[in-house]
Amino acid sequence: MTPIHVRTGSAAHRGLQIAGLAAAAGALLLGATMEAFRVGQLTNVMIFAIAISGLNLATGYTGLLSIGHSAFFGLGAYTTGVMVVTYGAAPMTTIPLAVLLCAVLGFVVGLPALRIRGLYLALVTLAVGVAFPEVVRRFEDLTGGAAGLVIRSRQLAPPEWTGLTVPQRGIWLYWVSAAALLITLVLVRNLTRSRLGIAMIATRDNEIAAAASGVRLATVKTTVFGLSGAVTGLAGSLFAMYVGALSPDGSFTLLKSIELITGLFLGGAATLFGPVVGAFAVVYLPYFTADLASGHVSGVIFGAVLIAIVFLMPEGIAGVAGRFLGRFIRIAPHENQGERP
Amino acid sequence: MDIFLERLFDGVTNGAVYAIMALALVVVFRSTGTINFAQGEMALFTTYLAWWLTTVGLPIWAGALAAGATGFLLGAVVERTLIRPIRRRNDMASLIVALGLFTAFNALAGLLWNSETKPMPSLFPAGLEDFFPVAGARLYWDALGVWLVVLALIAGVFFLFNRTRLGLQMRAVADNAESAALSGVPTGRILMLGWGLAGIVGSLAGVLVTPLSATQLSLTTMFPILIYASAAALFGGLDSPVGAVVGGLAIGVLEALITGYVEFIGGTLPQTAALVVIVLILLFRPTGLFGTRQLERL
Amino acid sequence: MTLLSVQNLTAGYGQARVLHGVDLTIEEGEAVVVLGANGAGKTTTMRALAGLIGFGGRVEFEGSPLAGLRPDAVVARGVSLVPQGRGTFPHLTVLENLHVGAALRRDKRGIKEDIERWCGVFPVLAERTGQAAGTLSGGEQQMLAVARALMSRPRLLLCDEPSLGLAPKIVAELFGILATINREQGVSLLLVEQNAELALALAGRVYLLEVGRVIASGTAAEFREDETVRRAYLGY
Repeated sequence: MTPIHVRTGSAAHRGLQIAGLAAAAGALLLGATMEAFRVGQLTNVMIFAIAISGLNLATGYTGLLSIGHSAFFGLGAYTTGVMVVTYGAAPMTTIPLAVLLCAVLGFVVGLPALRIRGLYLALVTLAVGVAFPEVVRRFEDLTGGAAGLVIRSRQLAPPEWTGLTVPQRGIWLYWVSAAALLITLVLVRNLTRSRLGIAMIATRDNEIAAAASGVRLATVKTTVFGLSGAVTGLAGSLFAMYVGALSPDGSFTLLKSIELITGLFLGGAATLFGPVVGAFAVVYLPYFTADLASGHVSGVIFGAVLIAIVFLMPEGIAGVAGRFLGRFIRIAPHENQGERP
Repeated sequence: MDIFLERLFDGVTNGAVYAIMALALVVVFRSTGTINFAQGEMALFTTYLAWWLTTVGLPIWAGALAAGATGFLLGAVVERTLIRPIRRRNDMASLIVALGLFTAFNALAGLLWNSETKPMPSLFPAGLEDFFPVAGARLYWDALGVWLVVLALIAGVFFLFNRTRLGLQMRAVADNAESAALSGVPTGRILMLGWGLAGIVGSLAGVLVTPLSATQLSLTTMFPILIYASAAALFGGLDSPVGAVVGGLAIGVLEALITGYVEFIGGTLPQTAALVVIVLILLFRPTGLFGTRQLERL
Repeated sequence: MTLLSVQNLTAGYGQARVLHGVDLTIEEGEAVVVLGANGAGKTTTMRALAGLIGFGGRVEFEGSPLAGLRPDAVVARGVSLVPQGRGTFPHLTVLENLHVGAALRRDKRGIKEDIERWCGVFPVLAERTGQAAGTLSGGEQQMLAVARALMSRPRLLLCDEPSLGLAPKIVAELFGILATINREQGVSLLLVEQNAELALALAGRVYLLEVGRVIASGTAAEFREDETVRRAYLGY
C-alpha cells in the first residue's frame, strides 16, 4: 500500500502532533492515578529516559561510545544529595548546580575525544565510570563514603506553593520528572535538527569527511559530551530525590552504565523516543524476572539482549517501529525547505 | 627494608597476574583489533568452574586444567559466532557485544554459584608458615609458585609466537590479514585460535590470582584485574606481548608501593590510579612503550 | 592444455558492480597480460580470481571450478596472487615472510630448498633475511612479495601491477625475473599492468579491459602493431 504523505507544518501534521501530545498527556494523567508503588516505578522510568537521552546525544547521534555515563548520573545525584543534606538546600534548587557540574565534567571527558576515538575513547570513559565510586568513597566527609548518604523524607517535601504534603512527594516528583523529560525531549529534538545536530551526525558517520566539510570536530565533541553529561546529570539529580539514599556501590557503578547502554540500543540509538522505550525495558525487566534482590537473572538477560540487538535489531525498537509506521504515514519536510531523499 | 621487600614481592606477584591477563588482551587485540572487555568476566566464569570442581572432590590442579580448557572453548566460540560476523561493521558493534558478554558471564556465574564469597584453594602450599626468609622479608611459597607458573606461561606463549608455525601464522594474520590469506593461511581458524589462547591465559590468571586476593572468589574479583591489565597492556603497547609483561609487572609493583607509601591515594583509590595511567598513555603515547602499530587517532 | 578459463565473470563491491562479464583463458606455461585504464576492473578481476571477493560466472582452474573458495583454498589449488601495493608482512623478517608463504606446505626440506632458490633469484633478499620487511625499500618489498607468493609453488602466479611506484630500473629487473620464472620454472603468469610497454615485452598474449569487459584480445605482437592501442596505451 502507498503511505499517506504528510508535510511538516500542514494542518494534518499539526493534528498528528496534537494527537500525540494528547495521548502522552492522557497516559501521564492515567499513570498519576495509580497506586503509589506504580507511580514510583513510572517516575523511575522517566528518570531513566532522561539519563538515556543524555547518553543518546554522545553515543547515539555522535557515535562516541561512553561506558562512563554512570559517573554523570552519580555526580548529579551526589550534588543534589550533598546540597540537601549538608547545606539544607531545597531539592529543586540544586538541579541547576547538578546540571552545571555534570556539563563541566562532560566537557572535560570530551577533551580526550579530540585526540582519540573508538575503542580508546571508550577506555577513557570507562576510566571515569570506574573512578567515580572510588572517588565518592575517598571523600567521605562530603559524600558519606561507603556508608552512603541519606536524605530525610522531610527534606524532600514538595514546595509549599503546591499545597502537597510530605507523604505526597511521590506524585510531586512524578510530575517534576514528567516536566523534565518533556523539556529533555524537546531539547534533544531541536538540537538534533540544528546545525550542531547535523555536525554531530556527520561526525559519527564519517569524521574525516565531516572535518573536510568544515565541521569543527573539537567543538562538536566537547560540546556534545558537555550536553550529554548535563542531561544525564539532570536525571541523576532527580534520582537522588527519588531514592533518597545514595551509596557509591548502589546505583553509580559500571553496571549502571551498561544498563543505560542496553536501554539506549534496545530502545533505538539516535532516535528521539528510543530512550523512553529503553527506559521501560531497563526498569521493568528486573521487576518481571522477579530478581530485584540479586539481579543475576536480569543480568544474564541484559547481556543476552545487548548482544541480540547488535545482531537482530541494530536500529532498536523505536527504529523498527518508526520504519513500520513509515509504511503508513510519511512525514516530508515543508515544500519551502526543499526535498530530502 | 624487610617491609619494602615484602611489598615488592606482593607487587611482583600481583604484577605477574596482571601481566598474563594483559597478555590475553594483547593476543586478542593482535588478532582482531578489539579490546575484549569481557576477558576478565570470562575468566571469572571459568575460575568459578574450577572452584566448583574442587567442591565436588577434584583437586585444584584438575580444576585449573578444566578452567583452561573451558576458557579456550569460550574464547574460540565467542570469536567464531559473535565477533567475526560483526567485526567489519564498526568498533561500536564489537564493543557492545563485549559489554553484553561482560554482563552475561558475571551474572551467569552469580546465577549458578550465588554471590557469596568462596574461599579458593591454592595450587601451592598457602599456609601462614609456608614461607622462607629472604633478607629479612617473607617470601611465601604460593607467591613463588605464581611467579613460576606465570614465567612458564609467558615462556610458552613466546615459544608459540616465535618458534612455531602456528605462532608465525598468528603474527602474519595480525600484521597483514589479506596477504596471510593469500599465502594460504586459514585466517578464520587462526583468529579463533587466538581468542581461544587468550581464553586459556585469562582463565589461568583467574585461578592463580583468586587464592591470593583479599576478596577470594567473588563476582567482583576479576574486574579490577581487568582494569590493571588494560592499563598494563596500554602501557606496554597493545600489540606487544613483551610490553604486556613489562607493563603488568610495572603496574603491580607501582600499585603495591603506592598503596604502601603514598597516603592520599593509599588503599582507597588504587583503580583510579591505574585508570589515570590509562588516560595519560592514551593521550601522550598511544603506542605504549613497546607498541608499533599506529593506533586509531585523528 | 587450458590452465585457467574464465567465462562471463561478474563481480563488484556492495551495490557497485565493476565487472560485467569478463572472458579470458590462460594456457599452461603462458604469460598473459591484462591492460586497461584505471577503473577498468583489472584489480577486481585479480581479487575475484584469488577468492578475496565473491563473483558470478564460470571460473575453472585445471578443469575444476574456483567459485566459493576462500583465498587459502585457492592457494591450495595452485593459484597465488601478489596483491597491489603492500603484499608483505612488514613486522616479520624476510625469512619469516617466506615461511608464511609456505603456510600450506609440510615438506620442511622442500621449503628450505625453495627459500634458497628464491634467494638466489632475488639476491637482495638473501642479504636481508633477518631484517623486518617493513624496513626494505619499495622495490625490495615487491620482490619479497613475489617470492612470498612463489613459496606456495603455484602453477599460476597472478601479479597486480607489480611496477606500481617503483623506479624504472627496478621495474626492468623485476620484469626480467618474472620472465625467467615463467620460462624456466614453468609458472604461468597473469599480469595486470598500466606499464603496457614492459608488459607487452613480457607477455605472449594480451587482453584489453574497459569498464568491466574485455574489448579486445590478441598476441602481444598484434597489439604492438595496432594503431589505436599504441596511441592509447603506449603513447607513440
